[in-house]
Amino acid sequence: MLAGVAGGLADSFGVPDAYVRAAFVSLAAVWGLGALVYLALWVVTFDRVDDVEVDLVAPRRAAGLAIAFLGLILLFGVIGLWPNPALVLTISALSFGTAALADGSRVGPLTALLDSDVEKPSRARLLIGGLLLVVGLYFLGSTVGRLFEVGAVLLAIAITGLGIAVGFGPWVRRLLSDLGEERKERIRQEERAEVAAHLHDSVLQTLALIQRSEDPTRMALLARHQETELRDWLYGTAPLAGVDMVSTALKQIAAKVEEDHGVRVELVTVGDHVLDESSRALTAAATEALVNAAKHSGASPVSLFFEAEDGWLSIYVTDQGKGFDVTAIPSDRRGIAQSIRSRMEKVGGSAEISSQPGDGAEVVVRVAAS
Amino acid sequence: MIIDVYLVDDHRLFLSGVKAELATEFRIVGSAHDADTAIGEIRALHPDVVLVDVHMPDGGGIAVVEGVTQTNPGVSFLALSVSDLAEDVIAMIRAGARGYVTKTISPADLVDAVRRVHAGDAVFSPRLAGFVLDAFAGAIPADSDHDFDQLTPREKDVLRLIARGFAYKQVARKLNISVKTVESHVSSVLRKLQLSSRHELARWATKRRIV
Repeated sequence: MLAGVAGGLADSFGVPDAYVRAAFVSLAAVWGLGALVYLALWVVTFDRVDDVEVDLVAPRRAAGLAIAFLGLILLFGVIGLWPNPALVLTISALSFGTAALADGSRVGPLTALLDSDVEKPSRARLLIGGLLLVVGLYFLGSTVGRLFEVGAVLLAIAITGLGIAVGFGPWVRRLLSDLGEERKERIRQEERAEVAAHLHDSVLQTLALIQRSEDPTRMALLARHQETELRDWLYGTAPLAGVDMVSTALKQIAAKVEEDHGVRVELVTVGDHVLDESSRALTAAATEALVNAAKHSGASPVSLFFEAEDGWLSIYVTDQGKGFDVTAIPSDRRGIAQSIRSRMEKVGGSAEISSQPGDGAEVVVRVAAS
Repeated sequence: MIIDVYLVDDHRLFLSGVKAELATEFRIVGSAHDADTAIGEIRALHPDVVLVDVHMPDGGGIAVVEGVTQTNPGVSFLALSVSDLAEDVIAMIRAGARGYVTKTISPADLVDAVRRVHAGDAVFSPRLAGFVLDAFAGAIPADSDHDFDQLTPREKDVLRLIARGFAYKQVARKLNISVKTVESHVSSVLRKLQLSSRHELARWATKRRIV
């Protein structure tokens, strides 16, 4: 009736529990082994009493181990290693005294004690816990002078520990788990606040702008810009500070041109390369070509294709717009064409501009990969 | 000839938008918001082309494509997604989709893509062409005896031109070949993508997921 082990065994074997209990008591009376076996069974057969409360397992295991330890000490006493056999009787008295408090419930008083409501600590629990504490401390005090009796000291410690576990275990456990819960909740709230702040600064602002906008092109552009931004935020593809790869730089350039000039830029990259002197010149030249196409071609989308292959870096800026006669480049475009060429020549690369009136235009810039 | 189209997308708003856009050109035989319903209805209705979203609850577009191609090989799939992540694209194509377009596609281009897929052709958007070039880039192992494990120089040329934003007709003119030839190159690339045993392809997709 201590923890329901006898009842459980009786159920399993189909004999009345009274006999099982009698067997345990007899064993305990003769060798102290009954108690040991009982405690071991209690520790092992958690499931049997788990219908009481699931997260009772941890403190009960602790208490169980403490009691098993106590039983071990008892065993030392029984086999004669312990000079004070009177203590054995004291322990038996204590153990079965506790058992005597049993109210006949299936789970037994000890388990019930650990299970007790934390907010309203039951008197019985405090009483028994306190009692065990006092007994433990008493033994500790009375054995300080006889330090050789290690067993007694250990017993005292064990009983003290058990007392603390029984008396305050559930409370400490609840306290600890409450702290953990609070911390988790705080982290959750911080994350939520961060997401809310981001959505407010970006998506909500954009939605407000779209509602106020009368111009469908502008609306589409805002939506497109927001889409790029949100995508980067969600998938973490845009480390805005410290751009060090060509593909990342191109992504930012494309987004900027979309925003500034109201055209869509279809960016495709194959492979990648670090930003060094020549690839910087390459992207700068491509940016000029892209801005030029966005301003003058009248086409949307403008394609921006980057490829790093076979030791070469190439960027193609292609539009399907109105085009122009390359041999008679209008004066406002000559500067750009020259600037693109000279940029590429400086780093040992090349630039090629091809177009025909009415059939789009393409600028190809190329440089050897370093 | 009227093409029967079935739509699968868990975003109802988007679904009704696409329905309205396509209803003038095709017969919309049905639509579904989830993979299970879609698989059942597509088997029963046997449409010509299915427009399928990649990300949905309960399995998504890949489950639909895989679930139907076994029983109804005559149904063509065009993946339509807001996602332009490389692994989604490659996974859909490898499951058996004939093409992949993002949801920002213009209505006219979408109509064209549906017709193309129905005609048995593959639909490569510039971005998809870029992904394929990227996936098949790098040195081919010398002992590789799979023809499917590499692209021919001509196929690479075609893909590059598509990635640069040219339409099939323009690609044909630039390479001095017929549009039919361009289409056959593109179809052969699609087949390679679906059948390739290349280890790099899997590794490439995995790498992309991490980046």
